[in-house]
Amino acid sequence: MFSDVSRSDLPLGMTDVERSVLQEQLIDMILYVLHAHPELHYYQGFHDVAVTLLLTVGLRLGTAMLQTLSTHHLRDFMDPTMERTRSVLSYLMPLIQSECPALHDFLLRSEVGCIFALSWLITWYGHVLSDFHQVLRLYDFFLASHPLMPVYCAAQMVLMREREVLQCDCDMASVHQLLSRIPSNFPYETLISRTHSFFQRRPPSQLERQTSLQRLKSISAASFRSLQISSAQQRPDSVLRQQVAPPSDVLPARSPNTLVKLAVWGISASLGAAALAVTQTALEWGPDLLLGLF
Amino acid sequence: MAKQYDVLFRLLLIGDSGVGKTCLLCRFTDNEFHPSHISTIGVDFKMKTIDVDGIKVRIQIWDTAGQERYQTITKQYYRRAQGIFLVYDITSERSYQHIMKWASDVDEYAPDGVQKILIGNKADEEHKRQVGKHQGMKLAEEYGMDFYETSACTNYNIKESFTRLTELVLMAHRKELDGLRLASNDELNLAELEEDGRKADGTANSKSCWC
Repeated sequence: MFSDVSRSDLPLGMTDVERSVLQEQLIDMILYVLHAHPELHYYQGFHDVAVTLLLTVGLRLGTAMLQTLSTHHLRDFMDPTMERTRSVLSYLMPLIQSECPALHDFLLRSEVGCIFALSWLITWYGHVLSDFHQVLRLYDFFLASHPLMPVYCAAQMVLMREREVLQCDCDMASVHQLLSRIPSNFPYETLISRTHSFFQRRPPSQLERQTSLQRLKSISAASFRSLQISSAQQRPDSVLRQQVAPPSDVLPARSPNTLVKLAVWGISASLGAAALAVTQTALEWGPDLLLGLF
Repeated sequence: MAKQYDVLFRLLLIGDSGVGKTCLLCRFTDNEFHPSHISTIGVDFKMKTIDVDGIKVRIQIWDTAGQERYQTITKQYYRRAQGIFLVYDITSERSYQHIMKWASDVDEYAPDGVQKILIGNKADEEHKRQVGKHQGMKLAEEYGMDFYETSACTNYNIKESFTRLTELVLMAHRKELDGLRLASNDELNLAELEEDGRKADGTANSKSCWC
């Protein structure tokens, strides 16, 4: 984990001091979550999620969000083995098949498998996209959505590249390379709106009935309803209340580093950061309202 | 269309997380070095065509994630490889100790006759060295492998080690290649030929495969 953090993808243009402060904060965040939940296991890619949250909302809120995500949306990826991750990935091909059988057949023939989408799911695309605004946009979307939404997003992304894929040589290497490199000008807004309607058209329950694949049950999906209910019952001022009374003594109190904060705000678009913060605050007390918006 | 290569095959890079597998690959294919390369999740690959004894060899080099939990995924790629680099970091005794485990995975999952090379990377970091060169040589000898100390940072022994493994694979498949060359002028896809052979044997990949 320490070596992942030391080589994690922090923004360019930072001084060594800023970088090392951020890396320390990142380690604090991750250790806090793993310490609080011994049943969770670190995976390479978890630090990508942590760094996105840290750069956007800072150490305290970032740690709180990372903790909630770890026990909910990202829970399936934090088992001791990757069997449950594999189960989540196994939704990908049936989803593609449900929309475009020809593309599905092509992918099967190429033997490409689903590994090209692995990092998309477990880092919410944070590992593969170089444009931080695009990452934030997708994080906003996934924060406000069902835990399986990233798989629908992956399927939708492949579907939107259908023509490109079908023109590619039908072998594992060519298709893997094509799919794992996402074009920089990919239309994310279209992707998000299509993914959302795709999810409504073919909800996970329907898909499970249609496919006979043996799967481990998704803990993330199973716990989502209770997350929604508990969030809905929270008071709107719960965030403020938590800030007045620190939730735990394990979280290290750090003096805020103005330099770093300035750098961070300069890097993360203030619009994206604000949107993420608003989404999170809103999610605390009204996920249904928010889901309605999408 | 002009023939771009004579033969194609697949090499695989394995070893602990952070030993420099991705850096070795980037140095070899793009002649680039980034000291803080982000970790590899799952698998990735790069291609390069090199000339070995007048034969244009297209090599597809698969780079794997080193973290233990990803091994259920990466093992599925072993069976497609004709050559494997086992990589450790000379500044990490632990990564050297783990070569034993990587080698036993190769025995279990890679095809018979796969060619192997042992690599001790980060040779430029002499001041942090934990594994002596003689230790690497001794281990390689035990396993009957060639051994190179390399540095992606200073571009030391990179081309040499990749070329050596390519030569070994070529030699191992010399007979098949010569036979096929007589039969056809088309480019040879060794990887696919092998796979066809396997399918004919009735030992095609199991359904539970990830890749």
